[in-house]
Amino acid sequence: MQNAKDTFYTMLQSRLAAVNPSRTIVVRGTVRPGLLVEENELPSASPPTDCFRLRWTKLQVVSVAALPLVALECSLAYTTAGNTGNVAMDRGRMLAAMDGELTAALTTAPRSAPKLNYAAAGVGLSPAAMSTNIFWADPVFGPVIATDERLERTATVQVYVYREAGEL
Amino acid sequence: MSDPLSATAAARATDALLRSCGGRQVLLRMPAPATAGDVTEQLGIATPQFQDIPLAPVAFRKARAVVPEAKPAKWEMLISATAVQGVVTSLGYASASVLFDDAAGVLLDDELLEIISATAEQVFGQPYAYRLEVLAPLADKN
Repeated sequence: MQNAKDTFYTMLQSRLAAVNPSRTIVVRGTVRPGLLVEENELPSASPPTDCFRLRWTKLQVVSVAALPLVALECSLAYTTAGNTGNVAMDRGRMLAAMDGELTAALTTAPRSAPKLNYAAAGVGLSPAAMSTNIFWADPVFGPVIATDERLERTATVQVYVYREAGEL
Repeated sequence: MSDPLSATAAARATDALLRSCGGRQVLLRMPAPATAGDVTEQLGIATPQFQDIPLAPVAFRKARAVVPEAKPAKWEMLISATAVQGVVTSLGYASASVLFDDAAGVLLDDELLEIISATAEQVFGQPYAYRLEVLAPLADKN
């Protein structure tokens, strides 16, 4: 399952960067495309705004076939307070822009990606390609939650993967 | 109203006061900068190193005189804004609040204290000191 989670994250990160290269975040002094996996970062009391925060929430395994099918639920939360230069009055437009970027990244064909194993990857080292693909359903967008000047929305997407022999 | 000259004077006066009140040095434990282009850190495979950054002058006191049973002691630290701004600039953080938010804790005599809150004390539109509320480990209640 971890290989599927890693593959989905890197796929989504590269697609979001292609849709809007200017959406970036600074994590520990390094500029990255605007997507992070919360469980892989240092705990923080205040979530970053204007970027996508990925969480893995639900897991279902269908083990009747030779290759068990695993369904992972991915939650993508994003928050914006608008531009301070515009006194936050453009927060609705900025949230709509993020809705559009996420929709474009997740609905562009192909809706699948080769599963990769990042266990031995590193700087200059490529991940190992595995035998099957991951694929995903349409995103489902939750309601907008307004907290003071902040607008937040969470989208969920089902990611499917076959568990290969010897894979945990 | 912002008055940079008066604010600088107030920050210097605060530094002198903190030193005269037995101001000492503490270490702010920060995660080392991320490695650019290293996807393994983003995937949680590689974990970051930590660096201890000295902050001085710092004066601290117990926030509560009586510590309830099975509760860790709360300490309050007053840190020089001059020292904090120096670290914010050198590490490239957007603000002091982000710096303290990202910090893993404050190292005081080899004891790591958890940061509960950080507040900027301001005068003339600029901070002269930062008030940090920190939590001692549960094992050390006194």
